[in-house]
Order: sequence, then structure tokens, then C-alpha cells
Amino acid sequence: MLDVALVSLIEDLIEKAGADGVIEFWQRVGENLANRIGKEAYMGWTSFNVAVREGRTAYSIEGDVTPLTDMAITDVDGDVVGYIYAMKQCCYLPTILRVRYSVGELSRADKAVAQEYNENFHNIAWCNFCVFHERFREEVAKNITVSGNPLECLLIATRGFDGETRISGKNLAKININSEHVRALLRNYECVYALIMRGSRLRED
Amino acid sequence: MEGPEHVRVPESNPFVDVATHLFLEDLASKVGTGGLNNYLISLANNLAARMPEEEYASWDEFLEAMKRGQSILSTFEEVRAVTPNCMVTPHSPFERGWREYAKRIGAFSKVHKEVAEYYNAKVRPTAVNSLHIILQTFRDAASRRVKVAGRPVRYEQIATVWVDGERKLASPDRLPALLKRAGITRTRLGMLLRNNAEVWLLYSE
Repeated sequence: MLDVALVSLIEDLIEKAGADGVIEFWQRVGENLANRIGKEAYMGWTSFNVAVREGRTAYSIEGDVTPLTDMAITDVDGDVVGYIYAMKQCCYLPTILRVRYSVGELSRADKAVAQEYNENFHNIAWCNFCVFHERFREEVAKNITVSGNPLECLLIATRGFDGETRISGKNLAKININSEHVRALLRNYECVYALIMRGSRLRED
Repeated sequence: MEGPEHVRVPESNPFVDVATHLFLEDLASKVGTGGLNNYLISLANNLAARMPEEEYASWDEFLEAMKRGQSILSTFEEVRAVTPNCMVTPHSPFERGWREYAKRIGAFSKVHKEVAEYYNAKVRPTAVNSLHIILQTFRDAASRRVKVAGRPVRYEQIATVWVDGERKLASPDRLPALLKRAGITRTRLGMLLRNNAEVWLLYSE
């Protein structure tokens, strides 16, 4: 019931601190959670991707994550510096359904937070939880090293509860992957992100 | 009163629960233990107020709805009636979130226990941690939204056991009357506490 109560909490916080205050609050909580989980080190991408599959990384707290090992991200020298990762189901979807079956309607406060975030930060959020989630992933990436290199997380695309999709043009451009590939992924996945080695010299074709 | 026909809302993603715990910890750092206690109480009251009111022609009809998970009092937890008035919850609805927290983050923040001690001193002595404040306040508020044969339902907490076995019982001066109303003996209570997370009383005035 904590997740359903959270919806009321957000509504209350919007009244007290405004949508921008909730965003600030969520981002701080995302950072705190990532830092509480701590650091991880992997010998290479293979061991990291196995750990992701087995649910052993800090990202596993989100639920089932699929490493799309057929979608490697390469740098200017053609070396693999990252991969695309995807979740079949948004972490917040069960909560949305639980609100539907207990309270009846998702609070407008939820959309208000997402809208504020899309207008002022990154146009990719579907619900208030995306705000927490994106910052959490970015901070977790800093705490993971693969072959000694810390990671960077780029949120690439999301599919909302109503089926509409959002693709991050700026992040897609960084990893040089065609938007049609991402669109195809969104038929099967609700949240797609990239993990790359921080500071990689990516191709700019 | 158990049965396979029990209808449950979908399970939440424990990640959302963990994020909410961190959210509450962040809040506690700003408003203190007393402030967090007030916040949790208001949170649970708001949640109950947003849920639909209920009316039943008879106590049997109400118990059947409880058993099937159709009452607001059994939306977030599996409830079994051991007597017409004595309810038990076999597993705390917060257990999954707490396990995920313990697995991914580590020891539960002390603030969850501190706020429960505050609540135990001020309201009723049956909370082991912050989550019980939400659950017990919610039950109290939700029960007032239920009428059986035109009369409002009333709720009292008899005992709480947390995952680690820590117990909290109603105050010694009230316990005998609560047990009598619930239709169980002290020995039976002890037996129930071996296998359940919560023992509580529902009655109509």
C-alpha cells in the first residue's frame, strides 16, 4: 500500500512545494538511493551483462532488465563502449494499476510533475516516478565500473501507459543509433536506456 | 476464511516501495520524528478518504467481501477471519519492500523505528516501525467508511509482529477487553502470532 500512499504524498507535496519542488525532492531521493546501494566493479562488458541478466547489479532493484547485447555502442575506434538495456514493464505500471483498483483514478499531480519535468529538464517522462528513476540510473552508473571505467547512463526512450512513446533526440544523437531501431524496441519494451563508458569518444557520423 | 477466490490487486514493484522509504527518510531529516509521524498519519487518512465508501446488509456479507479482497479493508493485504470479529493478516503488505530494501541497500534506517516509538507513546503502542503507522491509521480511517446493517465498523489493533519477530501488543489495560471482543483467548493470540503478521479487531457499534 506504500506505493498507492505515495500518490497521495505527491499530491500533498505539490500543494506545499509545487511541481518543481517535487522534482527537486525526487532527484535528491534518487541520488541518495543510488549512493546507499554503493559501488560495483566488473571485469568487462560480458561479466556486467551476465550480472544484469542474473539480477545482481544495482539496476536490478528496478525489476527485470534485458541487456540487448546485439545493440552494442562503439566509439570512434570501433571498440565496444556500451550497450542498450531495456525493461519490458515500467516499474510504476503496477502502482498505476493498483491505484486504479483501489482509489479509482491516478492523481492529476502525477501528470503535473511529469509535465514540469518534460518542459524544463528532459522531455521523456510519463509519470512522476520517471523523474526519480532517471536521476537514480544516472547516479548508479557513476558507481559502477566496467574494465575500470565508470559508466554513464542515457535514457533513450519510454512508452507510456496509453501507448504513446517518447524518444530522447539528444541522447540518441550521442550514441548514434537510428531512431527506427529504438521505435522497434518500444513495441516490446517500455523503457530503453544506454550504458556507456564515461568519457568515451563516440562516433559522430 | 481463506480461499482461492480471494481477489487481489496486482503486486507493487518493490522498487517503488524502496523509493518511498527513502522519500520518507528524506522527509524525516527535514521535519523530525514528530513531523514524520504526523505526516504518515495524514498520508494514511488521505488515502482512506480517497477510497470509496462501502455498505453491507449483514456482517456475513462484509466478511465475505473481506475474504475476497473486495473491501477497502482488504485491498492491500490478505485478511483472514479467525472469528467473526478477529482478523489476521498472514503476511505484512510491507514485507516484500522491506526485504528488497535489506537486500539492496542494507539495514533499515533507524528513523523508521524512532517514529514508531513516538507513535506508540502518543497514539497506540502497536507499531514496530513507520510502516505500521500507515497501515494502522489507514485501517482505522477506512473502517469508518464501511457500514454494516447501517452501523459504522470500528477497528482496534491487537498485536503486530514484524518480519524479524519483534512484537507489539495493545496496552495491558486494554488487551483483555479487546481479546474478549475478538472472541479469542490470550493463548490463542500467542498461537496466532506464531503464524501471522497482524491480529486485529473489527466490530460494529
